[in-house]
Amino acid sequence: MAGGVDIVLQVLIWGLYAGCIYILLATGLNLIFGVMKVVNFAHGELLMLGAYITFTFYALSGWNPYVLLAASVPLLILVGIIIERLCFRPILGTGKLNEIFISIGLIYIVQNAAALVWTDEWRIIHSPYEKITISVLGVNMPLDYLIIIITTTLILVFLHLFLRRTRTGKAMRATSQNRNGAMLTGINVERMDMLSFGIGAGLAGAAGTLWVVSGQVFNPYMGSIPAIKAFAIVILGGLGSIPGAIIGGLIYGIAENFAIFTLGGAWKDAISFIILILVLIVRPTGIFGESAE
Amino acid sequence: MIEMNKTLGIGSKRARLLGTIVLLVLAVVLPLIFGMNLYLLTILVLMIIFIIYASSWNFLTYTGQGSLGHAAFFGLGGYASALIANASGLSPYITIFMGGGAAALVGLFIGVICVRLKEWFLAMVTFGFAIIIQTLIVSQFAAVSGGWDGIAAPRLVPSTIPNYQLIGYYSIVLIAVLVILLFWIILKSKIGLAFAAIRENEMEARAAGIDPVRYRLFAFLVSAYFSGVAGALEIHNLGYITPEIFGVDISFWPIVYSISGGLGTLAGPIVGTIVITVLWDGLLMLGITYARFVIIGVLLVLIIIFLPKGLISLPENVKEFIGKIRRSS
Repeated sequence: MAGGVDIVLQVLIWGLYAGCIYILLATGLNLIFGVMKVVNFAHGELLMLGAYITFTFYALSGWNPYVLLAASVPLLILVGIIIERLCFRPILGTGKLNEIFISIGLIYIVQNAAALVWTDEWRIIHSPYEKITISVLGVNMPLDYLIIIITTTLILVFLHLFLRRTRTGKAMRATSQNRNGAMLTGINVERMDMLSFGIGAGLAGAAGTLWVVSGQVFNPYMGSIPAIKAFAIVILGGLGSIPGAIIGGLIYGIAENFAIFTLGGAWKDAISFIILILVLIVRPTGIFGESAE
Repeated sequence: MIEMNKTLGIGSKRARLLGTIVLLVLAVVLPLIFGMNLYLLTILVLMIIFIIYASSWNFLTYTGQGSLGHAAFFGLGGYASALIANASGLSPYITIFMGGGAAALVGLFIGVICVRLKEWFLAMVTFGFAIIIQTLIVSQFAAVSGGWDGIAAPRLVPSTIPNYQLIGYYSIVLIAVLVILLFWIILKSKIGLAFAAIRENEMEARAAGIDPVRYRLFAFLVSAYFSGVAGALEIHNLGYITPEIFGVDISFWPIVYSISGGLGTLAGPIVGTIVITVLWDGLLMLGITYARFVIIGVLLVLIIIFLPKGLISLPENVKEFIGKIRRSS
């Protein structure tokens, strides 16, 4: 039976690591949804851009790829702000289907622009720690996974402090709770839109860097599936709820890795939708749906 | 009458009639001019198949629904038709309609889950179903479906018959015309009015005694059926089918075509498919490959922001714009 426990632990660790990437994506989506009430279906393309920015800087400088979070996050914040200003602001309030459609346009643009710049080959880089494993309760865990889990936790703590302690963060939460009320108290809600989209994109950029340093392959079209999963997590955990995204992301990463282990790798992507569809059959508006409407 | 115009398309009755006649004449004459050019004929055939597909996708939007996973039906229609044709030896002309039936059956199942969902949820679930069905095809049903390698499918018209490509082309045109005619009849009938009522205000529609669930399900069924027929036509045209038919791009194309043409109109998907196909293959001839997608994406974003009713509203917008300039000068 000891072998069984080992395997369960191993799968848990994989799930925890996978969960970190999903949490960063889902938290970003939720932040944007909370403030703007729009869903950015092109969120995965921001993850992909984060991955390529890390890759490029790594190839140029050869620095420790973890340090390159300092490049991917600010650059993606900038990209997010540009996307918000040019694409989402003009269609704000013109119908929810339009957000989906404009995201499809964005997906085409970003994916193929990336393919033009970086070609569509699969790429990979190697973390300096890739050969080091540490032992957790008798199971081997790559050091990179531990660093990724710690980094994600730190990012989330910073985000929490920003939203709770700073004036801008509070204004952002106010906008998310009641847009008109926030406007009446003199908050520049359009600036909050821009900021929330920027931060959401920055989190996706961080996810991109972590994706790359963990030794996963990437190409310009890799972003869609993680983004769709993040969106499923958002629905499961409740639209606009950041704690929901964190818990949802963890459960999701673990469930996915158990499914791969028991059903086989072909089910990696499908299993997420089966979970989502089952939830939606029972609760057509998601688990915490009421607050969404 | 105003409501009617909204459902059937924008522009005057005469303009619409003229447009229809021009398109039909072009559809008949073009291959006779380019008949020798196999490349152009292939593009034309694909374009007309995608007109059927995009029109079927668009049929769903009349009830205010949308789908990000219509490749599920397109692919299922293709697989079912290929498998039936291979097993029974029936002509593809018969099996394509059976393929559509298989797609509709799955569509009914998905529809039952989806009709109560809104916007993002619906989008996600339909997207998810395309991936689940692809996974099933390559894993659980690999023995019949050939897994990732796919299977061969008989040609719509056997290549032993002279001019088989032209015969194939004209029969696909005929099917497209019949499908669009059927959509027109449905949308002109009481059902079309019920669709509009549900789309504009579900509560009021309910109060008027319209059951939104029943009509949405009907729209889903019809849309899935003809997407399946389009998929079957596509694979009998290609001669083989692989699970890549369930890909995200196959789900997105009808959306791109319908939005650029004009959502919720009969003319929209037709105009959109033609314009985007011409642009797409024109750019390829100029040697542009990846940038094509970027250009299409930019075009899509611009249309959504500046031309929310699609390209078919362009003449009206231009007229209005000119009128404005005249008035101000």
